[in-house]
Amino acid sequence: MIMRKKVVIGFLGTTLDKGRGAERWNRWRPSVAVCQHPDLIVDRYELLRDPAHARLGGVVAADIGLISPETTVYAHNLPLKDPWDFGEVYAALLDFAADYPFDPDNEDYMIQITTGTHVAQICMFLLTEARHMPGQLLQIAPPRRWAEGKPGDYATIDLDLSKYDQIAARFRKDADDATSFLKSGVETRDVAFNQMIDQIEQVTIRSDAPILLSGPTGAGKTQLARRIYELKKARHRVQGSLVEVNCATLRGDQAMSALFGHRKGAFTGAVADRPGLLKSADKGLLFLDEIGELGVDEQAMLLRAIEEKRFLPVGADKEISSAFILIAGTNRDLLQEVRAGRFRQDLLARLDLWTYRLPGLAERRDDIEPNLDYELQRYAEQSGDRITFNKEASQAFLRFAVSPDARWSGNFRDLGAAVTRMATLAPSGRITTAIVDDEITRLRSRWREDGPEEAGNSRAALEELFDAEQLDEIDPFDRPQLAFVIETCRRSRTLSEAGRSLFAASRKRRTSSNDGDRLRKYLAKFDLDWASVSDR
Amino acid sequence: MVKLDGSEGEGGGQILRSALTLSALTGQPFEITKIRAGRAKPGLLRQHLTALRAAAAICGGKYSDDVTIGATELMFYPGDIRAGNYEFAVGTAGSAMLVLQTILLPLLQASEPSRVIISGGTHNPAAPPFQFVDQCFLPQLRAMGADVELSLLQYGFMPAGGGKVMATIQPCDGLKTLDILDRGSSEELIAEAYFANIPFDVAERELGHISKRLKLPKTAAQVREVKSIGPGNMLGVTARFEHVTEFISAFGRRGTRAEDVADGVADEVRAYLDGSAAVGPHLADQLLLPMAIAGGGSFTTSAPTPHTQTNASTIAEFLDINVRFEPIDKSDDVTVTVDRKI
Repeated sequence: MIMRKKVVIGFLGTTLDKGRGAERWNRWRPSVAVCQHPDLIVDRYELLRDPAHARLGGVVAADIGLISPETTVYAHNLPLKDPWDFGEVYAALLDFAADYPFDPDNEDYMIQITTGTHVAQICMFLLTEARHMPGQLLQIAPPRRWAEGKPGDYATIDLDLSKYDQIAARFRKDADDATSFLKSGVETRDVAFNQMIDQIEQVTIRSDAPILLSGPTGAGKTQLARRIYELKKARHRVQGSLVEVNCATLRGDQAMSALFGHRKGAFTGAVADRPGLLKSADKGLLFLDEIGELGVDEQAMLLRAIEEKRFLPVGADKEISSAFILIAGTNRDLLQEVRAGRFRQDLLARLDLWTYRLPGLAERRDDIEPNLDYELQRYAEQSGDRITFNKEASQAFLRFAVSPDARWSGNFRDLGAAVTRMATLAPSGRITTAIVDDEITRLRSRWREDGPEEAGNSRAALEELFDAEQLDEIDPFDRPQLAFVIETCRRSRTLSEAGRSLFAASRKRRTSSNDGDRLRKYLAKFDLDWASVSDR
Repeated sequence: MVKLDGSEGEGGGQILRSALTLSALTGQPFEITKIRAGRAKPGLLRQHLTALRAAAAICGGKYSDDVTIGATELMFYPGDIRAGNYEFAVGTAGSAMLVLQTILLPLLQASEPSRVIISGGTHNPAAPPFQFVDQCFLPQLRAMGADVELSLLQYGFMPAGGGKVMATIQPCDGLKTLDILDRGSSEELIAEAYFANIPFDVAERELGHISKRLKLPKTAAQVREVKSIGPGNMLGVTARFEHVTEFISAFGRRGTRAEDVADGVADEVRAYLDGSAAVGPHLADQLLLPMAIAGGGSFTTSAPTPHTQTNASTIAEFLDINVRFEPIDKSDDVTVTVDRKI
């Protein structure tokens, strides 16, 4: 067994640790005292200090070395213009934490919060609570009565223990940062989506269990998986890398060896050992997109790999191990795949602990505006050109984008492509109404081409609302129209909005009308109302 | 395997140190449980871990990797004693002298000379100071046939430590028995005030006061400013007799008056001089082990301390040796006799 190393991370106390003459030994100096306890050996001390205090830091480091030969002291430059500026201190510490090679498998970290400004102490607390620094808090206090060499008291606080939940709850801001991180910094407004992201954040930080992301193509599954990986990495839940694979690209014999690896000579063409994607994801995160496309044999192997963290590479006679966190993505209904015998029920059960359905963009119309800003920003980052809408153009595009006429069948991919096209065509970085009008025409024609697929979806919509017997009562003549109406209702926020879209042509001809009422009456013919149609 | 209960007797670190010494010397493994069970911070502390590592280093001893701070039990398997150049460092200004005490006797049995440098506290209130080992203990060990030289390279006081001692240990062909039943004639009584990085007048006041109390001539009182990293102060009185030397000391500390430090030492010196036992309590602790290894010896001392008794019972676990305490008529003193079991 290798002994775990104990590492203290703490600020140099510019007041409490002070003292250069021999008399300094007559005072309690917190950073020195930490290493003076007869029942605690600190293997390493990471001393954070402003370059202006390098000299004091040197004295403290030398004194620690003297009274604690077991301890190695490393000084870290942390230049702070104003150590009472919350933002500056937090950012500096966050940078330190991001760069520091934490190795929680082999080392125990104690985050010393007795020295440093009050602001520094709060920041250390926050970073520890949020696991940017994966350690326990270390509080130290002087002895009640001073005596030479008496180091006083120390106490460690494990913030993972529930009794500190209340303290932790006070620091919500940091949690908000993590949530915003998962959403790629997009300030989304859709309440249900935000709640889901909140929960994914909790799961990401606290659990290593598999996560299943379902939703249509382009809803952002891959992007979310990447953000989850980055958050887990920042919080030291994974050390390894992110391995992404789309299962639809794995076919036949190649699938097995691509996933699980093979030994040299396992089959013709296997000229060298191949580690396989599961092994590459060891201690990291494996994102299997379109998991429903995986063959049955591969499913069985994968299940074993998840449960036992072991599997057999092709042609190998010994199992190898790999500990990875799994995120699976799917655009199919896996339950239906199980019923059809194409997906293993036990594998689904294993994946189904944390399941999140990412809604398509059409179902998150409130989020189109913030995502439009995000896509513009992303374009600017990629191309280096900063592009803006003029006010009328922006209003025109958004009016169309949130209307029921916009199907967004390709979800974020459609939005991203639309922005890229408009930005590329924008004269001198400004998107005009003319460019928007052209783009709207382009999108409409694209979605018209998607027609047949949409019809299939519409049939599914009818099946949701009616059982087989009721469906038989509806004339095949009425079915496509009813499906189209239901679909339009679901894309609309209100009955009137759906009505305006459905009766757009007649609206142009008449001066006034009640489209909503007309829609209500149509729905009533099939024993439907707004609530039953729009609620899902 | 020798089994020891660490909570018995004195119940501190002494039983472990003595066991390590005896195990290395006899080649017998031991298991100790309930290490320092009754103490505020039970189990191994840093200084005990250093003693354990030092003992393991000089005899190729083995113990489980998970023995660390706070461990309340351990098993130790000694190997062959190996002469060599060793360096050990004790943290928290812990006593370098106690670590030396643990490994000194085994290294006498090596076939080659050894040199040991130990850094840490050379003057720690909770352990015998360098002068005691050098002036009181080593002369007796030499009388038993050992060839050991000890030098103080730097003073290390609490709390900064940073002291350094060096011991040169020649191979010894078995220790001879030794009897110290009386002191012999008085040869010298001197007081010395050692100090580093504190005002000179503290040492002067200590000396002035103890000279008055013990009626010492001016020539028998010396101020000794010494080099050390941190502050420190010790007042020591050496009472040299024909057969034995006693060193009695106390440490000055902030908040304690120099006169009070001197009074403490003076009281203890008076008690020793007024008594007739040859050996003081601290030397008594340390003589038992070499006498047990020699296979015999005796001395007179005042009533035995828990340390002495703990050492006696630990010795009995490893060696066929009896340690007898026989009261001396009309006094509190005892004669301690170490001999082989018949």
